[in-house]
Amino acid sequence: MNKINFKSDSAQRYYNEYINRVEKSISALSAADRNEMMMEINSHIFEGISRETGINELENLVEVTRRLGLPEEFLKPLVARKKLDQAVKSFNPKHVFQAIALNLKNSALYTVFALLYLFLLTFVGLVLSKIFFPTHTGLFIGNGSFRALGYVSETNGLTEVLGYWFIPISIIAAFLFYALITVLLKVSRKT
Amino acid sequence: MNEEFIHKWESQVKKGILELVVLNILNNRDYYGYELIEEIRNYTLIEIAEGTLYPLLIRLKESNLVISEWVEQDSGIPRKYYSITLDGKKTLKELNIYWENLTRSIQKITTR
Repeated sequence: MNKINFKSDSAQRYYNEYINRVEKSISALSAADRNEMMMEINSHIFEGISRETGINELENLVEVTRRLGLPEEFLKPLVARKKLDQAVKSFNPKHVFQAIALNLKNSALYTVFALLYLFLLTFVGLVLSKIFFPTHTGLFIGNGSFRALGYVSETNGLTEVLGYWFIPISIIAAFLFYALITVLLKVSRKT
Repeated sequence: MNEEFIHKWESQVKKGILELVVLNILNNRDYYGYELIEEIRNYTLIEIAEGTLYPLLIRLKESNLVISEWVEQDSGIPRKYYSITLDGKKTLKELNIYWENLTRSIQKITTR
């Protein structure tokens, strides 16, 4: 992107600061989307100041950016929507988590997603736990009935019944939670 | 008079009809972003944070209703021109019919 050059230092500083705020507001987008939006806002500022008739460059620039609005506000819906698209297309947990945080204003729905996410992470954690603490992690039975699923510190009187099958089962459970989160995100976007 | 209520209602209506306004303007010729905003200001009383227009244009583009093209300028700062697609024209026709029916029925209610 070709930056705009100002004669006055104060206008240049103000412009650089505004452009930096735009850049920061869209840092979650892909490089191509970021570049496109930066060029668009830059072009808008250039066209705007060339039409303004204020007493100096700074005044013109302040007026143009005032009418544009706060980058953090007017770019938020775009970033939220793009992130959601990215999340439902990819299997990257980072994108899913960012999409949840950006899109869900409803706190009840947010809690449901947070819990599902916690379950997902728990199963991932249990896979590691099974590798490092095999006798303390698994599905435990005691006196013929279910006692615990996960990590237990005191295993006296308990029998672990899954063995290393616990690892693939946990991975499948984590995947199912992930699929559920993705489907629910898609549904919540449509409603 | 509940000014807060009016303000919220106005902002929701504006949000809803902005796409219709943009598509109608682009139906005449191609515009670049800043020029499009000037045209919105000329034709309507809609006051918007001008930055909100760009996410809206991206949405219209993703829906295949408009396309855009960067055009280099002597200044070194290119302009991005937007034009309506064939699908955009067809969609706009339907939106305009819906809008006419809506305003007609609201008029019937308000002048009862």
